[in-house]
Amino acid sequence: MINLTIDGKTIDVQEGTTVLEAAEAAGVFIPTLCHHPQLTPYGGCRLCMVEVEGAKTLQPSCTLPVTDGMVINTNTQKVLDARKFVLTLIFSERNHFCMYCQVSNGDCELQNRAYDEGMTHWDLQPNWQPFEVDASHPFMVLDNNRCILCRRCVRACGELVGNYTLGFEERGADSLLVADYNVPFGESSCISCGTCVQICPTGAIIDRQSAYQGRETDVDHHIGVCVECSVGCQRDVLTRDDRLIRIEGEWDAPLNHGLLCDQGRFIPLEEDRSRLLTPLVRKDGSLKAATWDEALQVAADGLAKETNLAALASTRLPAEELVLFKSLFAEGLKAELVTSLEEGSATASLAKLADKLGKPFEASLDLLKDTDAVLSLELDLVAEHQVAGFFVKRQLLDGTKLIVADNKKNLLAEKATTKLPLPAGEETAFLADLLTAIDSGSVDVDLAKAAESLKNAEKPCIVYGSAFASNADEKALAILLELAEKLGAALIGVKGNANSAAAAQLGLEAPFKKNGYKAAFVLLSDEKPSQKLVKSLEDIPFVVALAAYGSQITGNADVVLPVTMWAEQSGTYLNLDGRLQKAVKAVDAPEGVLTAYETLLQLSEKLSFKPDLDWKEKLMERVPTVEIQQA
Amino acid sequence: MSKPKVASDWLCGCAGCHMSLLDIDERILQVVELVDLRSTPITDLKEPDEDGVTVGILEGGINNTYNEEVAKKMRERCKILVALGDCAVFGGVPAMRNFFGAEAALQRAYVDAESNDSEAKIPTSVELAQMTHVRAVHEVVPVDVFIPGCPPDADVIFYALVELANGRIPEIKNDKLHWH
Repeated sequence: MINLTIDGKTIDVQEGTTVLEAAEAAGVFIPTLCHHPQLTPYGGCRLCMVEVEGAKTLQPSCTLPVTDGMVINTNTQKVLDARKFVLTLIFSERNHFCMYCQVSNGDCELQNRAYDEGMTHWDLQPNWQPFEVDASHPFMVLDNNRCILCRRCVRACGELVGNYTLGFEERGADSLLVADYNVPFGESSCISCGTCVQICPTGAIIDRQSAYQGRETDVDHHIGVCVECSVGCQRDVLTRDDRLIRIEGEWDAPLNHGLLCDQGRFIPLEEDRSRLLTPLVRKDGSLKAATWDEALQVAADGLAKETNLAALASTRLPAEELVLFKSLFAEGLKAELVTSLEEGSATASLAKLADKLGKPFEASLDLLKDTDAVLSLELDLVAEHQVAGFFVKRQLLDGTKLIVADNKKNLLAEKATTKLPLPAGEETAFLADLLTAIDSGSVDVDLAKAAESLKNAEKPCIVYGSAFASNADEKALAILLELAEKLGAALIGVKGNANSAAAAQLGLEAPFKKNGYKAAFVLLSDEKPSQKLVKSLEDIPFVVALAAYGSQITGNADVVLPVTMWAEQSGTYLNLDGRLQKAVKAVDAPEGVLTAYETLLQLSEKLSFKPDLDWKEKLMERVPTVEIQQA
Repeated sequence: MSKPKVASDWLCGCAGCHMSLLDIDERILQVVELVDLRSTPITDLKEPDEDGVTVGILEGGINNTYNEEVAKKMRERCKILVALGDCAVFGGVPAMRNFFGAEAALQRAYVDAESNDSEAKIPTSVELAQMTHVRAVHEVVPVDVFIPGCPPDADVIFYALVELANGRIPEIKNDKLHWH
């Protein structure tokens, strides 16, 4: 331990701690701008200067490691003067006129720091150099006039996301934040994860969706799990007067530590489907508005009289609703098929393996953040489960080997150190060949190289997605286990939608095939139905659809019940590595729209069925593929 | 002891800061009790007393030769000069034109604007002041008290006036400090 004194307070900290971190631990506030807890200390803005006894000059606390016996002062006149001077230099460099900035009054760290220092004005004359504003990006505006050159965005883009889109051109006062080699932001390699807009301390990168819609002082926060895929990122949904304003990643979340992808941050606010606001019942061939009671009665009567019934539910639904759904249809109506819209494609084979083993065999996603070799099987983490992809991409420059085995179009493969062919259906042969190559080498150069990388790795990870899970047979999975054991590798299955894993725990995994079903119950929620689903339902004479938005499914259905979308409901989600997390309601549902939970309860009542509501117990009944961590 | 004299004027601004001053409502009676309100844009007297005032208040930035004259006269005739509002403190919204230049601003306003007809032209007259870069007041004359805000809150203005009337320099900080 290192002992030091900060503003008269003595504190013991670990070696390698910075003065800034030590000050924070001692409860001493040091203002910063370029520093961000999720980024490597940079020492760019010089706002965090402190006086170190015995040192000739002021030192930046963010990059200064502690030494034993150090005496630090953070609020001497010299330090306060330096802070004001640093802020004055920043303010006078570009267009930092708050009265016409969208982040002014609460959302701007530069302005907040100036207020803290009691700055009523700055003494230097401004440098009236205009820079072009780049508004070519669909979600963000890049305004160099507001930039303080802290490079947080550049560092976040590289260090956290591994995308390396943002960078700087020119030097000094001409320094220009650019995308790629100065191409329009909207035409660049940007993947719209929005980490840069969230980390920007000023208005240099602006979120188009929420610009001028409300500032920190106007908004409410709703922190919960993202429901766009099974990674389970924590996010903050910002609302104002019951309107969705913006979505931000939770910096304090242990899994995603602030990161989100475009699917979690921007796309949910781009919803343009038509909302269903009233129950509909088919009369004389066309759908007519009906009361809830009437629609539920028609649904209940239609479903009760058919034993040849298929019931399907979206894996975007909370566990509470999936359990209720299963109880009503499996036990109450004894439906022939009770499954999820994923039909177990991402989970069934793996869940069966866990059943067989009698114990979990998959590992924590955290292991993917610190690995030296990744084998990706039929999975494109650039296209899906993107935040897990960020964990991999950002390590590649540090020498982490990435082996991508896939025969489909795979954007992750562009970044791979080794690419291997893996035709769908050949999983057993592929894994057997790899195992042989690890044991005794291979004449295939790439396979030998991949085997070598994996063998030499200390912390290898094997990741696979839904394609692998549906293609791999029992034999392939047995070899996968053998491979993992031999290499000491962590197995990480990314699964499908947000509650894919919960659906697997409930055994909602049977395939939905044409089977002469006479009636179907489809709990779509806010999921966009696939064409395959539309086709499969076409021939079924009586279809009840629960949906938030109009689609071909609701257009063809006989009863349509309008239910809530993601932002209007709370519930529990089981992510890909066993974390039980809450999604939190952010806005009220429109008048006359119920949650699927309420709808299923009312339907149960019409059918005189008492459903089993103990969702937690139901979720724990089956051996999971990865240990479930109780929240 | 006679009451301190206060004069004010507006330069390149929108008059909003003086409107915010009027937003102190009935408290203006307390101000008049404390000070001798002399020339202001909203009273009859238009120039500060030749023999000087205690406090001079300027709203707006300085965007032409006439503003320069007014600012210099106010500075000469007052003991304490107050820059009131973002335009006086920073240049404010009018200073946006500094990024394009006065010529481009005139061209846009008098010729290119959609509401202008085909004969529209930039007015020229020897009687018109010459346009300059838009500057904060302190870039032209020394300023003693800065009250930023667009506009500053009436409460902040009232606080500052009472402090000045009592011979104290107001401290604009914490909840009294905002720049927007």
